[in-house]
Amino acid sequence: MTTRELLTPPRLAVEDLALGYEGVTFLTGVSLTVAASEIVAILGPSGSGKSTLLGEIAGVVPIPAGRILVDGTDVTTEPIHARGVGLIFQEPLLFPHLDVAANIAYGLRRHGWSKAAAAGRAGELLAWLGLEGYQRRRVGELSGGQAQRVALARALAPKPAVLCLDEPFSALDADLRRRLVTDVSAMLREAGVAAIHVTHDEDEARAIADRVIELSSLGRPR
Amino acid sequence: MGGGDGALTPPRWLRWSWVAPAAFLLVFLAYPLVVLIVTVTRTSEGALLDRLASPVIWQVTALATVQALMSTVLALVVGLPLANVTSRYRYRGRAFAQAVVTVPFVLPTVVVALAFRSVVGVGPSQGFWIVVLAHAYVNIAVVTRIVGAQWAQHSGDYELVARTLGATRTRAFIDVTLPSLRSAIAASAAVVFVFSFTSLGIVLLLGDASTRTLESQVLRQTSVLLDFPGAAATALVQLVVVTFVLLLGAAAARRAPARRSRPVSLRPLPPSAIGRAAVLATAGIGMLIVLVPVLALVITSLRGSDGWTLTWWTSLSSIDAGTTRLAPPAAAIATSLVLATVTALLAALVGGLAALTVLTPGRPRLVALIAVVPLGVSAATLGLGMLLAFGRPPLDLRASGLLIPIAHSLVAIPLVVAVVAPGVRSTDPRLASVAATLGATPSRAFWTAYGPVLRIVMVASAALAGAVSLGEFGAAAFLGRAASPTVPVQIVRLLGRPGEQSLGVAAVLAVILVIVTLAVVLIVDRWSAPARSSVRAPATVTP
Repeated sequence: MTTRELLTPPRLAVEDLALGYEGVTFLTGVSLTVAASEIVAILGPSGSGKSTLLGEIAGVVPIPAGRILVDGTDVTTEPIHARGVGLIFQEPLLFPHLDVAANIAYGLRRHGWSKAAAAGRAGELLAWLGLEGYQRRRVGELSGGQAQRVALARALAPKPAVLCLDEPFSALDADLRRRLVTDVSAMLREAGVAAIHVTHDEDEARAIADRVIELSSLGRPR
Repeated sequence: MGGGDGALTPPRWLRWSWVAPAAFLLVFLAYPLVVLIVTVTRTSEGALLDRLASPVIWQVTALATVQALMSTVLALVVGLPLANVTSRYRYRGRAFAQAVVTVPFVLPTVVVALAFRSVVGVGPSQGFWIVVLAHAYVNIAVVTRIVGAQWAQHSGDYELVARTLGATRTRAFIDVTLPSLRSAIAASAAVVFVFSFTSLGIVLLLGDASTRTLESQVLRQTSVLLDFPGAAATALVQLVVVTFVLLLGAAAARRAPARRSRPVSLRPLPPSAIGRAAVLATAGIGMLIVLVPVLALVITSLRGSDGWTLTWWTSLSSIDAGTTRLAPPAAAIATSLVLATVTALLAALVGGLAALTVLTPGRPRLVALIAVVPLGVSAATLGLGMLLAFGRPPLDLRASGLLIPIAHSLVAIPLVVAVVAPGVRSTDPRLASVAATLGATPSRAFWTAYGPVLRIVMVASAALAGAVSLGEFGAAAFLGRAASPTVPVQIVRLLGRPGEQSLGVAAVLAVILVIVTLAVVLIVDRWSAPARSSVRAPATVTP
């Protein structure tokens, strides 16, 4: 470990977290750190609490016990919008009433960008994704892969410190999934974000991540 | 079953199912409307222009527009929070709250008016605001049901995405929730506006000069001023406004982004104590708002000047009519029940056949669409048209006693179609193909596939048609005979007379209507419950 790594706190630190949803506790004492530009894949069968882990980090699911630190700051009780944690779901969930560019610009606008600046940045991100000229498209016209790319751009646009990916490829066919996994992995590293990717597919996990961890090994079962 | 999708050919008789409803609508809807329009245009040109130029029509139009707008806004203000808490969260008593909030909509308008009178007392109980309040009260259910149905489809994931992108809770509501509800809000607002704009019973009982509607103006022109061309001109203006607003609502609804519908998934109450209390309190206040007028009505039916009494309940068989001629209240109940039964049979038959046309290929299926038209034609317009077409020689159907059930059927047919058509469509047409491959004749295959759902939806829709007939006032007022009024007409007549006996007996009749209507709706709900599946999809971030 270099001195620099010892002095800078990890982008994301999960400390002694309990994973619980609607009265069911899956694991306690979950601890994990993720560095900038690092991609960690968490493996586990369905129903093991993977999505709950991401939900608690993003602030979407109430935290029964434990702490979440982003860049060394405790965000455990911060509201969702002030955490600096992005979340990508299994489905792209693009806002159906906005076009592609407005979807990508949405987070920028919430972070104080002007309309023009946000639109410009959205255009750059689309080019980066290989979707030039898609600004005015309706989101319903996108293919599954395109929609998931746009969702990724939308999540990365406001430069979150941490990005949680909840099986974002599970709704896509195998061929498309393989291509997207490579692309997304490169994009995440380039964005410098600390990424947590949960999946039940071990091949996918190895293809995308620097580290692959079994969820059950992170804490104590309950 | 489209012609091109390789599905089974429907049985021969089904291909002709459009004929009966088409003929019924042609004779009893289109013909009276044509007569109405001809009456207007045939009036010597000057007279028609005079009437359309008369400031009264436009004054009333302006008054009714303002009144209907206020009623719509108030219904939305009360209805939207209730839509949220009755259709999205999982808590004990949610289904009950949802049912209670629906009650005002099924209550006859005359009953609602009397209930409001009972709440505010007999004193200054008339005027603009009380009418607006009553209209909002009736229409809470329109907002909660239409918007709630769409809101329930909403998993909340989009809001979460917005939140993770930096939007505050309020911001996410404005940016994401409202746009996704826009079409439902527009659709429900259009319905509430039309209802308030064409209101008759509530306006007659609670209104004053400031709340006249074109509908009440039509009634006045026909029954007091005997100015039929004037009434026809008024009805025409109303028809134009109503059509315009309904088209606006439909256009707004169509602009909504298409989204596949998914099973409703109820979410747990918010984790914070404040959020939890807010949801439960909103549901509680909603139920209170709905129940207070109904309770006041019950109390009115049990109170005289000397305190609690059963006098009004025991004087149902004969009432001290004084100098005015009044049929005994019990007779009105009998009249209403007979008319409701005839309406139920007629509307279910005609509406059911119209709904079945959705299964036939090609143009006949338009009949199902056309059958919804009476929604846009108000009861007074319909009543006036039928009076002009069938109420005088050479074709006088009034003596036959069929005019009211026919008019009530026209009002109820859109409901029947709305209940039957989705039920029929939800059946997998391949069931009929399977039955046919097993040796069933086309008719037999049809009944094997569609019989089970038809048995449920036909009974439910007939009961609904009966409930509509029980509470309908406008058409009954136009077409009824003085000697045998329906219950709503009798209530209005009683309230037109002074004295606490009139009020008490009117309240008794209203309570009886409430009980019968609620019984019908509850039975329908129970009966058709198995048809609806309540699949619960997992919530957002379930593990």
